Amino acid sequence: MSLNLVYHFQSSQNQEEAFRPASYRLIYFFSNQGFLDRPTLRELSKSVPEADHDLLTFLSLDDLKTFALRVCQEQKEDEVRLISVQDYNIGLDGAKDLPTFRTIFEKFGEVIVNEEAPRKKGFLGKFFS
Amino acid sequence: MVARTLSISSDGVHLAILDQEEKLNKMYSYFEPKVFQSFVEFLSAFGNFLASNKIKSPLWGTNFNYQEGERNISYLADSSIAFEQSFSRYLKQNFKEGVDLGGPKEEANLKSKFTLQVQDLFKSTAETALAPFWIGLQQVTVLGGAPGETIERALQDGKSQLNFVNDILDHYTHDRWISSALLKKSEKGELLPKVLSEHFGTQEVERRYLYKIHGAELSQEWKSFGLVDIFEDGGASFKKTGLISFLDENFRWMYSIQKELNFTNEWIVENQHKVKFFHGANLDRTGFSQMMKLFMMGQKVVLDLTGLPPELDRRLQIFMLENSLKVQTVNFVTTINLSELGDGRFITYEGSRLQTEETTRKFWSHLFRYFNLNHVDINLGTDVFSLWRIRATSPTELNYLDVRRVNFYNPTSYKKQVTIHTKGGFAFLKMIDPSKATAKSVSHGVEVELLPHGRIALDFGHYEET
Repeated sequence: MSLNLVYHFQSSQNQEEAFRPASYRLIYFFSNQGFLDRPTLRELSKSVPEADHDLLTFLSLDDLKTFALRVCQEQKEDEVRLISVQDYNIGLDGAKDLPTFRTIFEKFGEVIVNEEAPRKKGFLGKFFS
Repeated sequence: MVARTLSISSDGVHLAILDQEEKLNKMYSYFEPKVFQSFVEFLSAFGNFLASNKIKSPLWGTNFNYQEGERNISYLADSSIAFEQSFSRYLKQNFKEGVDLGGPKEEANLKSKFTLQVQDLFKSTAETALAPFWIGLQQVTVLGGAPGETIERALQDGKSQLNFVNDILDHYTHDRWISSALLKKSEKGELLPKVLSEHFGTQEVERRYLYKIHGAELSQEWKSFGLVDIFEDGGASFKKTGLISFLDENFRWMYSIQKELNFTNEWIVENQHKVKFFHGANLDRTGFSQMMKLFMMGQKVVLDLTGLPPELDRRLQIFMLENSLKVQTVNFVTTINLSELGDGRFITYEGSRLQTEETTRKFWSHLFRYFNLNHVDINLGTDVFSLWRIRATSPTELNYLDVRRVNFYNPTSYKKQVTIHTKGGFAFLKMIDPSKATAKSVSHGVEVELLPHGRIALDFGHYEET
């Protein structure tokens, strides 16, 4: 079981004399069962104090990864895959149907493994437990 | 191929949608110049085809949209390089001395204005080219057609029935017309075809597409039934003042949010019983006059004075003086002014003073108690959905003023209970078409049990209390 996170990098902006630094914005975060609940994600994003918890934007890719891993641990999933919008779009360009669309989430992005995930037991492990 | 640039959403993702056959359909930018040229050629060929074959059918144009969160977005909206280039040409043409875009907000406003102009160009070109056949334009929202839904539908579990029903009822509340063309049979499941045929069926198609004119008076045919109409174009003024959450708690799916007032005789008569909410900031002279006419026709009208242009404020004062209307002022949370004219009620308040959740709830609760909307009370619980319809009585039901039918749907995998309190004025008549559901009469009304994916309809006779 794994999670997928699609993010969008936004360059810095001057908005009405206020400077907005470059950021990584979360677009989609989902498991095989569906999208993760937004209020829960906002709560978990507090593990990164510098993040904008309402908009779910992070100041660096490392911050985004820290957050993604935190969610992965909370959900007790094996890994989380981070895919940039650019990579998602490249994958989409080559996809033509449902099976090829699904491969985007197998081929693209960076995988972060949750070392704390409960290990899956092998045959002997199940036998002796 | 006419276009080569894929359309991009405001989140930066390419637009692509899965169809019934699980094919991925990519959307290309409308802003490539060749697209418009080809559109004109297509219209000309299509017009010739209709004329040469002497086809006299009326023709509707459609603007397809998708729903992402709270935003209803046209497939024409785009952030691709083709759009940026086209926008740059627009700026050069319209601001010859150059333009200071200021901040991102101003730029976004200009881009949105430009997109609307292009949308209008496509519409007016089609209208001109197909003039003898053209009837009008319909906005249609495609279920499962948002970029996020493409991902959700591709997941192992797919998009749930619960999420689809939730979306459909949200579209119903916002008076949006929907298409289920993309959905597979397995996605529609057991409930969706029922919800769609019962509330977006033939009669609704006839009404929307003007195939058949239905009278405004009640007939033996079922009509959708609501209690409140809210007029608001964009913005979220009524959400901010707590009205929407109050209605969601107390009159769920019995209100309708409309972009504009459809001021026709038929609409006025058909919706006579509804309380109508207007916002000062959204009103122009025409809207203001129509609102006041509704009041004079005996309807219940509520106006949030926030943002009402000074000229309309003056007109309102003059209207009150000219008609010698007595204004009763109540200070409760905000200043409320109440005027009566026959059956008509006109209430104004300052929405900007409705700030905290607790006070807004008190305010709306008092206001709706004053209106005394006579209807059946339902205790629904979460994730059970209900929609009401109404019809005139048959010769065997003359004890009643009208008959109201409620459809309950349970799109979840859990058993659900619903309690209906039939206080004075309503009598339970019968249950119809139960599927995985039961209903029993109890002293205070009716209790319904819905198994997973169950549905049932109940009829209530509405009588005059003596």
